[in-house]
Amino acid sequence: MPRDTLDRQINNIKDEVLILGNMIEQATLLSVDTLKNRNIRAAHELIEDDQLINDKRFAIENAVLILIATQQPIAHDLRILTAILEVSTELERMGDYAKGICKITIKMGESDIPIPIRDLVKMAELAVTMLHKGLSAFVNENLHLAQSIPLEDDNVDALYHKVYRHVVEVITANPATFDEAHLLLWVAHNLERLADRVTNICERTVFIATGEMMEMDSTDDEDQED
Amino acid sequence: MNKNNSVFESRAQGNLNKRHRVSKIWRSSFFLSTTIGIFSLVILLFSIINQAFGYVIVENKVDPASLSSMPLQSLEREELISILQENVSKNRFKTIQRDNPVEELKRSELVGLVTSEIIKPTTLKSYFLIPSLTNKAEIIRTQQDEFPNAVVQFRSWISPSFLTDPLSTNPDTTGIRTALLGSLWIIVVTVLIAFPIGIGAAIYLEEYSSNNWLSRIIKTNIDNLAGIPSIVYGLLGLAIFVRGLNLITSGVFIGIDQSNGRTILSAALTMSLLILPLIIINAQEAIRAVPSSLRQASYGLGATRLQTIWHHVLPAAMPGILTGTILAVSRAIGETAPLILVGASSFINKDPSGLFSNFTVLPIQIYNWTTRPQAEFRNVAAASILVLLIVLLTLNTAAILLRNHFSKNKAA
Amino acid sequence: MTENKNQPIIIVKDLSIFYKTFRAVKNVDLEIFENKITAIIGPSGCGKSTVLRSFNRMNDFIPGASIQGNILFHDKNIYDEDVDPVQVRRMIGMVFQKPNPFPKSIYENIAWGAKMNGFSGNMDDLVEKTLQDAALWDEVKDELNKNALSLSGGQQQRLCIARALAVKPEIILMDEPCSALDPIATLKIEDLMRELSHNYSIIIVTHNMQQAARASDMTAFFTMDEDRAGVMVEYGLTTQIFTNPKNKQTEDYITGRFG
Repeated sequence: MPRDTLDRQINNIKDEVLILGNMIEQATLLSVDTLKNRNIRAAHELIEDDQLINDKRFAIENAVLILIATQQPIAHDLRILTAILEVSTELERMGDYAKGICKITIKMGESDIPIPIRDLVKMAELAVTMLHKGLSAFVNENLHLAQSIPLEDDNVDALYHKVYRHVVEVITANPATFDEAHLLLWVAHNLERLADRVTNICERTVFIATGEMMEMDSTDDEDQED
Repeated sequence: MNKNNSVFESRAQGNLNKRHRVSKIWRSSFFLSTTIGIFSLVILLFSIINQAFGYVIVENKVDPASLSSMPLQSLEREELISILQENVSKNRFKTIQRDNPVEELKRSELVGLVTSEIIKPTTLKSYFLIPSLTNKAEIIRTQQDEFPNAVVQFRSWISPSFLTDPLSTNPDTTGIRTALLGSLWIIVVTVLIAFPIGIGAAIYLEEYSSNNWLSRIIKTNIDNLAGIPSIVYGLLGLAIFVRGLNLITSGVFIGIDQSNGRTILSAALTMSLLILPLIIINAQEAIRAVPSSLRQASYGLGATRLQTIWHHVLPAAMPGILTGTILAVSRAIGETAPLILVGASSFINKDPSGLFSNFTVLPIQIYNWTTRPQAEFRNVAAASILVLLIVLLTLNTAAILLRNHFSKNKAA
Repeated sequence: MTENKNQPIIIVKDLSIFYKTFRAVKNVDLEIFENKITAIIGPSGCGKSTVLRSFNRMNDFIPGASIQGNILFHDKNIYDEDVDPVQVRRMIGMVFQKPNPFPKSIYENIAWGAKMNGFSGNMDDLVEKTLQDAALWDEVKDELNKNALSLSGGQQQRLCIARALAVKPEIILMDEPCSALDPIATLKIEDLMRELSHNYSIIIVTHNMQQAARASDMTAFFTMDEDRAGVMVEYGLTTQIFTNPKNKQTEDYITGRFG
């Protein structure tokens, strides 16, 4: 079969992307868990593990560059590989979000958490589910699935607004809790941004299949800056 | 080291020895064939050379010393003429004067006349080269015993005078100039006729004609014509050129007073027909061998077919065409039978002077001499064969030089 | 092709090419644009060279070859009765797969075509100009009398290009011009093509996908249909064909998954 080498190499890289995605999923859930359980030590360990995520991302980029140089891919093959470069960057950013959550855990220390933690946990679970499906759609080039995932972002946004209102109530009631409440808002913000990045991954999936770049907005109108 | 050897041995042995052996056997057979070929050529050449040189026992009827104290070659023309007049009968002198007036003869020709009319050297006995070299003592003894008035001379039957003297009935004095010139005349005119026609036909057949049934028939027939025995061409020439086109070939139509068509023109026309198929086939091959990329390049620039053929195809095919032509010419020089039919004279001593002269050619002359009884004619025949071989060799060398010259230009 | 402001210089309408009764190329519709480099790609045997050769009537030399349809050059069908194929070939020149300079000097190679077409100006100037246009002048300017066959393959091919330029064509057809050359010579010729396209229109048949992608503005993809006739599957901007072709067959071929 012609281009066996190229196909095989592309599949290997896709596997690595799934592995990286898995690492991000784990990091996200565990980071929220350290906050819930006030596990400072675990938070430190997770922060160190972020290095592994960075290494994996660079390994994927390297593999893609080598493949482009040696196999001269064009058209569909080229779109897959350039999309993988984009996606690995997105995943690495998501890893940074998880790291940020761990840092907040450390900063919180022993202080009280003035809002229900279960909302944050729920946000993390939803975002991770979105990521999992999004990466599955990506490696399988499942156009239909990729187009349906951004809609789930609405749920994450709804939870974010709920947490936001809670934080405002708490600060209004007791201004001394401002620092802690503010940090928790930041955690929610990270999780909401993580879900938004999954949308970017879905746009890339559409691009691979059709060759067209489409903005797929969820229904929120927050600006997409980091 | 041993380990390496065993790798090669164990895998490759098997039939390798057998293959090498078979190879060697074939190589020896090829070598043997070559040897046989060379050997035969050497024998042939050797026997000819053997007959062309040797001792002769010569006797002069009149001693040249009695005619003049100085060697004949150094005498003036007037002296030679006076010697002639004194020693030759009046009638004979009148005959000589009528055929070839002595006043018009050059000094060398006068010497020749004196020699043949007065001195009359006669070869009493001739020997071949090998006996000459090995049995010299016995030859001298024979001479002293049987021919006391004669001398023993070493003669090389092929000599410059052999080439320039005219034909004569005396083997001692005969030359082959007449036959040599006849051969050359015929060859030149043949080439002038056959070359353009042959090339033209080849160009048409290869470049212009389409590959339909008609052109295939024509091509097959040309190949067949090449194999027809040359005597058939002789019959054709006799019927058409000598007899049928008598008025043209005899020169009567331009006022030459001659009654027969047995001229150089007829002979050349006949030989042209003979070598025409060869030239056509050879030229076709040469033209076909020109790579089509050359033609495509020319057409691609907007050249017509004629421009392409004239400027590119022909020059590229020319080495092959010339080589083939010269080889055809080599064959034509050696043809005897058709020329006999077309009327080569069996004895003629006047040089051919134009297209409408009677003629004889080298091979025919050789044949004539070998049928004569006198032993000396065998020597003369051998000498002529050598001349013929030298002409052929020259032609072939010319072919090789021409081919090399053109190949240099094409080399990449 | 609304992005192209260039005019079409050859318009091919419903072209079919036959060898006796066998249809080698079927129903091609194509417009070649002026001062652009058009590449024709496709697997072996799909009629690319046949189509190329029909543009300068070189197929006329193949017994039994005939066409249906029109090839319009300056709005005139080049296969009309009153069109002289010799004239067509002067205006549409050709460079072949294996460099084929004449076995003459470099000067003569270029001068012959011009002379034969009636050129009466200064031949030295013409030779110098065409050799410069073909990016060969600097390498041979001191040895114009050297035999053309002593040049390297890449130089010979550039000489063939100069030779074609000397008769002042409008279009240059190139039939796999680099397939017999080493990679450096190939790239030199590609650069040369880019330069030449400012003044000439170039149509190139190539087996080398990367070359078509690098060097051309428009690409036509041909393939063989079930009757073994060549058909044109897709024709468009090179950038489009090689990043997002519209036809799956095109995509399969250029990514190397068939052919």
